[in-house]
Amino acid sequence: MCLWNWRRRIQGQGHLDDETMRVFWTLLKKELRAFFVSPVAYIVLALVMVLGGVSFKAALSVLESAPSEGSIVTWTFHAQWFWLSYFFVFPLLTMRLFAEEKKLGTLETLFTAPVRAWQVVGAKFTAAMVLYAVIWLPSLGNFWLLDWITGGKVEIPVGALRGSYLILFAMGIFNLAMGCFASSLTSNQIVAAVISFTMSVLHFLLGVFALVVGRRLPESMVEAVHYVASVEHIRLFTQGLIDTRPLIYYASLTLLFLTLTHQVVEFRRWKL
Amino acid sequence: MIHVHELTKQYAGRTAVDRLSFDVEAGEIVGFLGPNGAGKSTTMRILSGYMPPTSGMALVDGHDVFRESLEVRRKVGYMPEMAPLYHDMRVKEYLHFRAELKGLRGRDLRHRTGEVMELCAVTDVRRRVIGNLSKGFKQRVALADALIHRPKLLILDEPTNGLDPTQIRGVRELLRSLREQHTILLSTHILHEVEQTCDRVIMIHEGKIQACDTPRNLTRSLRATSLVHVELQSATDVAKELEALPGVRKVMTSKTDKGWRAYALRVESQTDIRESVLDLATAKGWRIRELHRQLPTLEDVFVELAAADSGARPFG
Repeated sequence: MCLWNWRRRIQGQGHLDDETMRVFWTLLKKELRAFFVSPVAYIVLALVMVLGGVSFKAALSVLESAPSEGSIVTWTFHAQWFWLSYFFVFPLLTMRLFAEEKKLGTLETLFTAPVRAWQVVGAKFTAAMVLYAVIWLPSLGNFWLLDWITGGKVEIPVGALRGSYLILFAMGIFNLAMGCFASSLTSNQIVAAVISFTMSVLHFLLGVFALVVGRRLPESMVEAVHYVASVEHIRLFTQGLIDTRPLIYYASLTLLFLTLTHQVVEFRRWKL
Repeated sequence: MIHVHELTKQYAGRTAVDRLSFDVEAGEIVGFLGPNGAGKSTTMRILSGYMPPTSGMALVDGHDVFRESLEVRRKVGYMPEMAPLYHDMRVKEYLHFRAELKGLRGRDLRHRTGEVMELCAVTDVRRRVIGNLSKGFKQRVALADALIHRPKLLILDEPTNGLDPTQIRGVRELLRSLREQHTILLSTHILHEVEQTCDRVIMIHEGKIQACDTPRNLTRSLRATSLVHVELQSATDVAKELEALPGVRKVMTSKTDKGWRAYALRVESQTDIRESVLDLATAKGWRIRELHRQLPTLEDVFVELAAADSGARPFG
């Protein structure tokens, strides 16, 4: 809710009345529906389930081969397979959002109905966020299944599990917001997907870069780069260490990109 | 209903609409006429609250289109050019969604959706996916959407674009039936349509108003010439004699057939020379089997206006 309040203040628009919320719900329903009648939701769901299963298997192999420091949770979210699925999800979920409407010309019908730009941006982003949350749910089943088969002999740290999904969600909304922004820039879905993918990967590499050359950098710089390093965040959270700094970092970047998206969508109104 | 004053819109250095001023009264059907790129769509987009003008003012039912955009959008039913729709939705579903967006609720929503589907004759396709519909149906779904919230003002950008003649007639009848409840501003480049439907025509060319009048007055008061067709029997070519009649600008011989000669006389539009042609024929002893006058259509007016450079505006 604080998101909408913040937005509203930015625009200096009236109080958040029933009608405003109802328009938002109408738009959200439509967006969610669009996800589930097109194959996109199911393809992404299948992709994430398969790769999630593979990375889980990889984590099991690590634990089987030798005694190890991390838990099953740590190794699952460190598998390369996990990162593979991670980067493909965002372009697939967000490329359509604005690019398709631009191509069809429906932005014109949309914005000649009494709706505000933040309602449209908010509804599209929220729909993507809901879907993103849904696609990670089956992967929880892997842990549950392991627990059930082994009769609780493998230790699954609950705190680490919660932390992992929390950071996964935080990183997710940031990447989704970038995807929304990319989609609002173009009327071509492929271009939107490429922009979104590139931005996500670049952000990730920025973190990796610090880990690779970190030893040759001054200490203060390593500190700074750790602040943006997704790999580092995952490492901490999968150990059950919940650090609020990355959470705030991702939340503020999400807001930044949503605001940028809003500005792009509203651009025609300021282009005098 | 609409008050436009000195409205200007510039895109990246190009002036699409140039100091446009006009008014539309409640209950009128006004046709916006002009060649492609004349600024029709731009003006309509501004009036529907989609984008702001560069300068000038536009009021819809007393509300400023930029500062009170939401208020304006509640009062305006706008149908964009090419009727953009969500291709993956079904007709009824789409209209429900639009009605909800525009603030209709509950029983009223269901009732009104049924009503506009009936009005626009899309009830039979209400369960079909929009992407699979023909152009004519898509156009009518878009029209139903524009109507659904009972707007005071309907702004239709080329509502008959891409329709076949029967469908065009259908849309025309529909618009006439709607005039009771709505003020209508429509754009088109089919002149015939404006002549048939509109109370008033605003002709624009390169962003400027060229003429604004009833279709009848426009055709009458214009420089455009009318044609008089005459077919007569005489031994020799009589083009010279016909050309000597007052008001005749030019005589074209169209065909000769067993002594029957057909001529087309280009005449200034205010003059009627049929009687003098008949008098001349009686005097010379020619037999006449056809004599009729063809009034200038808006098409002629249009071509003439479009050809005229902006310095020589016939209506100042």
